[in-house]
Amino acid sequence: MYSIRAENLTKSYGGNEALRGVSFEVSPGEIFGIIGPDGAGKTSIFRILATLVVPDGGSASVLGLDVVRDYHEIRRRVGYMPGRFSLYQDLSVEENIRFFATLFGTTLEENYGMVKDIYSYLEPFRKRKAGALSGGMKQKLALSCALIHKPEVLFLDEPTTGVDPVSRKEFWTMLQRLKDQGLSILVSTPYMDEATLCDRIALIRKGVFLDTDSPSEIISKFDLPLLAVSGPHMASLLRDIRQIPQVFSCFAFGDTHHVVMRPSQDSIDAQINFLNTSLHAKGHNDLSIRPIRPNVEDCYMYLDSMEDRL
Amino acid sequence: MTAMETMKDARRFVSFVGKEFNHILRDTRTLMVLLVMPVVMIVLFGFALSTEIKDVKVAVYDPSKDAATARLIAQIDASDYFTVTDMLDGEDGALDAFRSNSADIVLVFEDNFYHRAVHDGDGRMQVIVDGSNTNIGSMAVFYVSSIVSSFQKELARETLMDQAGNAGEGASGTSQVNISTSMRMLYNPQMKSAFNFVPGVMGMILMLVCAMMTSVSIVREKERGTMEVLLVSPVKPFSVILAKAIPYFVISAFILMTIICLSVFLIKVPVSGSLMWIVLVSLLFILVSLSIGILISTLVSQQEVAILISGMVLMLPTMLLSGMLFPVESMPRILQWISYCVPAKWYIDSIKVMMIQGLGIKYCLDCVLVLFGFLTVITGLSVFKFKDRL
Repeated sequence: MYSIRAENLTKSYGGNEALRGVSFEVSPGEIFGIIGPDGAGKTSIFRILATLVVPDGGSASVLGLDVVRDYHEIRRRVGYMPGRFSLYQDLSVEENIRFFATLFGTTLEENYGMVKDIYSYLEPFRKRKAGALSGGMKQKLALSCALIHKPEVLFLDEPTTGVDPVSRKEFWTMLQRLKDQGLSILVSTPYMDEATLCDRIALIRKGVFLDTDSPSEIISKFDLPLLAVSGPHMASLLRDIRQIPQVFSCFAFGDTHHVVMRPSQDSIDAQINFLNTSLHAKGHNDLSIRPIRPNVEDCYMYLDSMEDRL
Repeated sequence: MTAMETMKDARRFVSFVGKEFNHILRDTRTLMVLLVMPVVMIVLFGFALSTEIKDVKVAVYDPSKDAATARLIAQIDASDYFTVTDMLDGEDGALDAFRSNSADIVLVFEDNFYHRAVHDGDGRMQVIVDGSNTNIGSMAVFYVSSIVSSFQKELARETLMDQAGNAGEGASGTSQVNISTSMRMLYNPQMKSAFNFVPGVMGMILMLVCAMMTSVSIVREKERGTMEVLLVSPVKPFSVILAKAIPYFVISAFILMTIICLSVFLIKVPVSGSLMWIVLVSLLFILVSLSIGILISTLVSQQEVAILISGMVLMLPTMLLSGMLFPVESMPRILQWISYCVPAKWYIDSIKVMMIQGLGIKYCLDCVLVLFGFLTVITGLSVFKFKDRL
């Protein structure tokens, strides 16, 4: 039995279609990531599964319970951390966690084992007001509060947005540990680098899943030549690369441009040479061009531009 | 439901109420405003009510400029109560003097005052009072008339002696000297008692604390995203709301006691009705205000909107249409109808009846029933509008 099952979910707000038919399953003990930019429909999925919003169409079940009919039972058994969740700023760390414990009819002592790993970071500051915690600390406290009642499924909507890289890393380590304890975790993130830490991911765009698979499978489906180009004039370089007809797409990626070439019979070295000469003709010298392995973001951007061209 | 579950529910609810009290007590600034505001308002009104008047500014229009007016003006100026600040050039100057705040009362003598007072027995003068200050108004008129009447006697005695001296004939002793003082009240012709403000202040503050604070604190949870978490929990959604209302009920009850104590002991409002009924009706009004706050919170999702609605939609009608500032009876019919929809109007009316007029509860039963009606309808509406989803 799947922990979470969504079938052809649709939801619109006003005339705005937030979800246009989304289906997926999450198995017990799996971390399932929903990857996509803001406004792609991630939060709508979470709200439907957390029984906060009724879908317009399709059906969904959590722990075998229907999200519309059995929402009372679902609410007892899941942990939910909304995207803008910011705890009670004027309550202390300890007051926050104890409040949420009582809310779910348990106590901090009773379920201490569940949150020990995470809460131990916070114990030195347990008298401090939640509002005075750093972003990473707040996130840990919020996770502790979502875990205090031993949920069977955990919904985390953008848990690492606005958190520093070190805390993000720690946060994912914690998720792995929770997964090992058998929790099913549905997590969303706009950060593509976090995608590889999930067991399976769905790439979402404008309310539709572009692809659903394990990160390595998604990457292996990317079979076009991918080159990283950098040079002295990055801005004009981007513009000029995009004008070359043999280039499928090109995006700025930190300090390099990732260039996807159209399928061709030429070897990768021949394509690099071709690109170099074409750009030289446009006045770009001292270019570094090398083949790279695609990451999840490359896959997302590729699928995204495929959709645009359809 | 098992006993175990009931226990858990009870503990959950208690911890909820505790959390709400924590929120309120830790926001010391807001709490101070809530507790100090009623005190300040009542004390301010208390001072405005103080019966001592001193150095009331008097402007005089004296076209007659004769011996009698000069002496009367000097006598008025000499008293502790009045200071003559201005001699006006015309009767129209009175309005300007009030507007520029250079006078609280204006004395107007008629032409040829002395002659008419002594010989015609009908010297006329007018006291124009700035009625917007009800307190100075009534006291000033009282003091002016007593000075005028003693001056009248003085004048009568002198005239009598003059007549005796001049004519040598046995004076009859019946003097014809008479000064008639007419009084005109500007701005507040009915001279409504300032005590009327106390019920008004009570209605306003209780409405403000209950409706605005409750709605803001519920909406804050929506804004912060904590409401989503509360909804996705076994807690019964309406107990979230109830837990929010309880602390504000306690605070309002405390404020109510403060206001009643201050009114009775500081500004000595003659609370002539039954204190128990005043308190009970006030508690009923607090419940109505709380339910309005809850209703607002189910309708909006931003704190600013909640404040605006409780400020504009509740406070303004409460102040303007409840009879607190302006008599509703003299308003256009349509505004009178609208005023029937303002819960505070019914509350203030009933408190006026019980507190100021000292009548029993049975004289304001209609108001109490209407308040009950409001409570039922608004609570019903908010239960109906409350969603346990987003």
